[in-house]
Amino acid sequence: MEGIQNLLEKYFSVGIIWEILPYLLKGALFTIIFSVSSEIIGIIIGLVTSMIRTSKIKVLNQLAMIYVDLFRGTPLLMQIIFVYYALPYLGINLPAPIAGIVALSVNSGAYVTEIFRAGIDSIDKGQIEASRSLGMSYIKTMRYIIIPQTFKRVLPPLTNEFVALIKDSSLLSVIAISELLRTAREMMTWKLNPSSLTAAAILYLLITLPLTRLVSHMENKLKKSDAH
Amino acid sequence: MIKIVDLHKKFGDLHVLKGINLNVNKGEVMVILGPSGSGKSTLLRSINLLEVPTSGHIYFDDVDITAKKIDRNRVRQRVGMVFQAFNLFPHMTVLGNVTLALLKVLKMKKDEAVKIGTDLLIRVGLRDKINSYPNQLSGGQKQRVAIARALAMNPEVMLFDEVTSALDPELVKEVLDVMKDLAKSGMTMLVVTHEMGFAKEVGSHVIFMDEGLIVEEGLAADIFENPRHPRTKVFLDAVLH
Ligand SMILES: Nc1ncnc2c1ncn2[C@@H]1O[C@H](COP(=O)(O)OP(=O)(O)OP(=O)(O)O)[C@@H](O)[C@H]1O
Ligand SMILES: [Mg+2]
Repeated sequence: MEGIQNLLEKYFSVGIIWEILPYLLKGALFTIIFSVSSEIIGIIIGLVTSMIRTSKIKVLNQLAMIYVDLFRGTPLLMQIIFVYYALPYLGINLPAPIAGIVALSVNSGAYVTEIFRAGIDSIDKGQIEASRSLGMSYIKTMRYIIIPQTFKRVLPPLTNEFVALIKDSSLLSVIAISELLRTAREMMTWKLNPSSLTAAAILYLLITLPLTRLVSHMENKLKKSDAH
Repeated sequence: MIKIVDLHKKFGDLHVLKGINLNVNKGEVMVILGPSGSGKSTLLRSINLLEVPTSGHIYFDDVDITAKKIDRNRVRQRVGMVFQAFNLFPHMTVLGNVTLALLKVLKMKKDEAVKIGTDLLIRVGLRDKINSYPNQLSGGQKQRVAIARALAMNPEVMLFDEVTSALDPELVKEVLDVMKDLAKSGMTMLVVTHEMGFAKEVGSHVIFMDEGLIVEEGLAADIFENPRHPRTKVFLDAVLH
């Protein structure tokens, strides 16, 4: 009984949560801003890189593959630290928020590349041939034929990737960006009580749950339209 | 109009075309026969450069389209192709399929493209399907849309690769009828088909391919009446009886 009482006091103190909520909401806002902007840039990077990956230009293709392997195969935390602490030695001094967005979007771009590549590969090759045989260039074929058909199919994995990115953005706390998790930890030291962590967890859920629900909904719809 | 000289195509170690020589004149309907794997599709696909020849030349009105500096997209605009699997664009309406290249390649104005597309769809008997999506059509209707789509670019040559093979038997005729009309209108056509009735009636010339070579060629009437090459005889016996 005493254990539970202690747990409630330490992790579910309503009074403390109420007091620090404005700070947490501000942290959550930062989390959203960083994730959304990185996701958008990541999608642009992924779109371009996936087209390179599916084209026949060997050198570019190899470079794109190295990029994907490198950023999917090393910890994001390391990438963030490199961009912020190592690039200055090359004369590239990025303020923390920019460094954070750069690291997150380049990392996300690697995952998005593979999502788009799988999507493009899943489109019947006959679509490309029909388009090319009309005299459409490779770029136009991608733009008007392949990408529009790919988009519907990649939306669920893309949203999953976005959810992962939202959670991963908490790693930005290592370069002193006051996103949600870092704010919660600051509040914990200030109040000498970890209830702020509980509140932050709930806020993360409030952001991600609608997205994960959306994914299931889209997957169901896709199943139905494919059954046609 | 089209002159093919010593055309070779290899896929890795697989030698698929082993020296094809062929002339196609304007207005001819060249029927291409031959067993599976003999290279019929590869030959057709070489003519609009969907396959790049390993060696040899293809001349289109005396211009070598296998030359390095040639603009492949321009060549393809002059050659229409219809595939066995239709390959319609599922995210666009029937009219959208037919007008796409007019709008995006020729940069035609919308109303002009719609006029051309509508006329073509009427010509292939699909006036009432203009705003349908491909998945709402039967196989025969899909293939007629595909023909209209290829015709939209006003090509000088049309390539047909077994365009009725994926159709239910009762839908074959409506597609062949469209092709017959096209032949009558003077279109130059290369047609890979197993429809011997069509080949006899509409074909002006026939080539018979085997293992990457043309083993027999001539006027349609001659070849169907007295094939000379033993392979052609066996093949015709098998498909005609
Ligand atoms: N892209 C490719 N890569 C490797 N091999 C290929 C490719 N395309 C065709 N081939 C091979 O080339 C040979 C000729 O193929 P092609 O499709 O031209 O024959 P076809 O005469 O059209 O046969 P079918 O009547 O079955 O359509 C076959 O052995 C085929 O497997
Ligand atoms: Mg074939």
